[in-house]
Amino acid sequence: MKDILRKATDVAVQKFGAEYAEIRAQKLFKTMLTLKEERVEATKQGIENGAALRVLVNGAWGFASVGTLDAETLINTISDACKMAKAASSRLKRRIKLVETEAIEDKVLMTPKKDPSKISIKDKINTTLTMSKTILDYDSRIKSCTVDYLDLTGTSYFMNSEGCYIEQDKLYIWSRLLATATQAGIFTFSREEVGSTAGYEVFDIETPEIVGERVAKRAVEQLKAKPPKGGAFPAVLGPNVVGVFVHEAFGHLAEADLTLSGSVLLDKLGKKIASDVVTFYDDGSIEGAFGSFKYDDEGVPTQKTLLVKNGVVVGLMHNRETAQKLYAKPTGNARAEDFRFEPIIRMRNTFMEPKDHSFEELVEDIKFGYYFKSFRGGQANLDGTFQVGIQEAYEIVNGELGEPIRNASISGNTLETLLKVDAVGKDFELWPGRCGKGQTAFITDGGPHIRVKEVLVGGSA
Amino acid sequence: MVVALKQEEMQSLAEKAVNLAQRKGADETEAFVYQDLTINVIIKQGQIARGSKVIDRGIGVRIIVNNAIGFSYTNTLESEAVIEETILRALNSAKASKPDEDWHGLPTKKTFSSVEDTYDNRIVELHSEDLVNIASTMLDTAEKTDKRAFSIDGGAGASYLCNAIANSNGVEGFDHGTIIECSLATIAKEENEVTPVCFEFNMDRQYIVNPEWIGTEAVRLAISALKAKRTKTKTMNVVFTQFALQELLHYTLINAVKSDYVQRNQSAFKGKIGKNVASEIVTIYDDGLLKGGIRTWKFDGEGVPQQKTPIIEKGVLRNFIYDNYTAKKEGKESTGNASRAGYLSTPNVEATNFHIMPGKKSPEELISGVKEGLLVYYLQGAHSSNPASGDFSVVAAPAWKIENGEVAYATKGAMLAGNIFQVLTNISELANNERKIGALVAPWILVENVKVIGK
Repeated sequence: MKDILRKATDVAVQKFGAEYAEIRAQKLFKTMLTLKEERVEATKQGIENGAALRVLVNGAWGFASVGTLDAETLINTISDACKMAKAASSRLKRRIKLVETEAIEDKVLMTPKKDPSKISIKDKINTTLTMSKTILDYDSRIKSCTVDYLDLTGTSYFMNSEGCYIEQDKLYIWSRLLATATQAGIFTFSREEVGSTAGYEVFDIETPEIVGERVAKRAVEQLKAKPPKGGAFPAVLGPNVVGVFVHEAFGHLAEADLTLSGSVLLDKLGKKIASDVVTFYDDGSIEGAFGSFKYDDEGVPTQKTLLVKNGVVVGLMHNRETAQKLYAKPTGNARAEDFRFEPIIRMRNTFMEPKDHSFEELVEDIKFGYYFKSFRGGQANLDGTFQVGIQEAYEIVNGELGEPIRNASISGNTLETLLKVDAVGKDFELWPGRCGKGQTAFITDGGPHIRVKEVLVGGSA
Repeated sequence: MVVALKQEEMQSLAEKAVNLAQRKGADETEAFVYQDLTINVIIKQGQIARGSKVIDRGIGVRIIVNNAIGFSYTNTLESEAVIEETILRALNSAKASKPDEDWHGLPTKKTFSSVEDTYDNRIVELHSEDLVNIASTMLDTAEKTDKRAFSIDGGAGASYLCNAIANSNGVEGFDHGTIIECSLATIAKEENEVTPVCFEFNMDRQYIVNPEWIGTEAVRLAISALKAKRTKTKTMNVVFTQFALQELLHYTLINAVKSDYVQRNQSAFKGKIGKNVASEIVTIYDDGLLKGGIRTWKFDGEGVPQQKTPIIEKGVLRNFIYDNYTAKKEGKESTGNASRAGYLSTPNVEATNFHIMPGKKSPEELISGVKEGLLVYYLQGAHSSNPASGDFSVVAAPAWKIENGEVAYATKGAMLAGNIFQVLTNISELANNERKIGALVAPWILVENVKVIGK
């Protein structure tokens, strides 16, 4: 493999005068299941082999992707990438440059306790079927459930024209459970995800029964929930909601490509944007976490990146291009979904650091507010407006948890809201998920419970 | 663009796979061969800095053994050994899977529909240099329009897509088409204010692009989103543009008319065929044959002819949309709504061109009839709606306040809360400015009594 890749990068440099060339070849194998209620819709397995070829010619990027690892095709394809770069460079205003990095040679092997590629399809069907059965048997008001399962195994081969060569095993396990419940014209909806880079052993902790019950219980309890009042209220956010808040409301703005596109963080580096108790990290090195890996898709080692320290923005998430532009060190955040995509800046495991409050202390001073425990999607805008949909929430009345509420969402301006975080809990959880930015990345996010003085709550009609 | 695999090669691959699988012991087999060639020129942070070319092709094989379904795919089409391996893997998957009593066989052969304006040779013949010209026209126009706006993202892309299908019931077909897309996203800045992301685009099956218009409009939107003010919490009339509608309907109404959702008790429309579900001015078709529609094809992902299906006529719910499996479960015919993610997936029920019929008023007339309301361009967070109940709670950004029939000022951080099924009954006007936004073809609509949450 190494020789084939070397030949292609040599062609880019020698024949087309590329300043930089890289190839990411991949051999991937996927197993997928979809269960609707207790019906196995289809048992699916697939092979995806291919290569992503990226070059810098005349200061512009050229990219080409092809579904083969054949030497001659790769040479032709990298030639295409060089031609694309040349065409794109014709109207270039500022040449693209890359920050210098160490040329690493390494081989990364995965050592799962339970390798998903060695587990039979029958076992995987049994695991997902147990999830389905647990959900459906929980309560007669549960009307449907959908369980998806995916495992991905394989190897990625990265080479660039600077002498970097990395072979890295890939391993992802993911499952998503959806349940709906109905009673008297009310429909509720609940979802959970499981995700790991460790191995099939993730189901020893997040067992089909535990996860199934969690999703079913929520769908049923939401039936008796009432709509929230709309308006600004004090709130306690659970780790699951804190995670998506850190990821969506802050994290995307701190992806340096979006920062450079004019996100509200552009002129905030080194400045205080949050209250003293707020510290954020994006960490690619947490063992087995869904957003972890050793090297990113530009061959840069992953790291634990400090983004906000005691309320002050101290770092952004970079690839080699943005690091060069902003005089920063690369942080290993360049990721591509697979060989069909170019690496772009993505989050890994993004979280808020815990402090010292107990849950009771966070809740006790709130006369009327909400406890937002679990989210259902979120989205941010470059101007700092965020929205997080909520699938599980409760009223807080006179310092105690009250009735459940449904279909709420919270919104606000990230920078204003971060200044309103006035207490941070001492617990900590990380939750797996998938993030979309034109391509999908596997991530986790989380943190402790926190209290926010005021957040805008979207009520019901 | 270079067409890698020809029609005959693709059809032959599909037929050979079906024959081999049947010989290896499949009860039924379906093979779907897919090819996507796309070139893109990409704008980032105010300049064209990237070109890309992606060739993605492969075969997906669905095999049924004893009413259990197995599926396997590969993107290695050069090797007969790999294709045979793929077939065996699908066969083994079927054997490992569980039988489904509701499985009543793959589709049978039917005459395909004819489609118009889905293929344009001019798109296939575009070079990267042509796309660079389109993209730089957008950028240059944007820059000239107003310096306070900044082009953050966008580009121009051309795709050639084709697929071939064959199954053991004698279904065989080939179809191809083209898509051109160009877009520009902008934000405007003034003093300490940053606007939400604003954008415009063209997306068409024919070579119809207007980069000057995109550049001008994307900037005009961003500039008019400056000087945003907070609104009060109040129930008011809301004009939704196609972008906002597309976001909202995708996660709510479109799911509610899928037979799969109805059969599985996830749709509020269950048992409502023939009943009033929307205001009487609302008529919606799922039109798989719409001239030049983004999702117009001769046949769907299972080789069933696409068709035009009435969904809501004058407010009355008429039909749900079906694929082969959900149709046969009810003893019905598929409506040609099986959709696939290329060669990578088994079919799923999905809308084709979801066509909300336009009204007679111009958009200006629509707005002039609103005393106090919002004009909503785009929504944030529609994907967090409750897909079963249709409840949504989203941010409207960018959005503008309408006062006394005129667009008064941009709003900041306003939220909308409601239920899609109530929205349908509260539609009071439809404009005449129909537009294709991906799968949605619709005009602007005016909805009464939407809860707007501000400060």
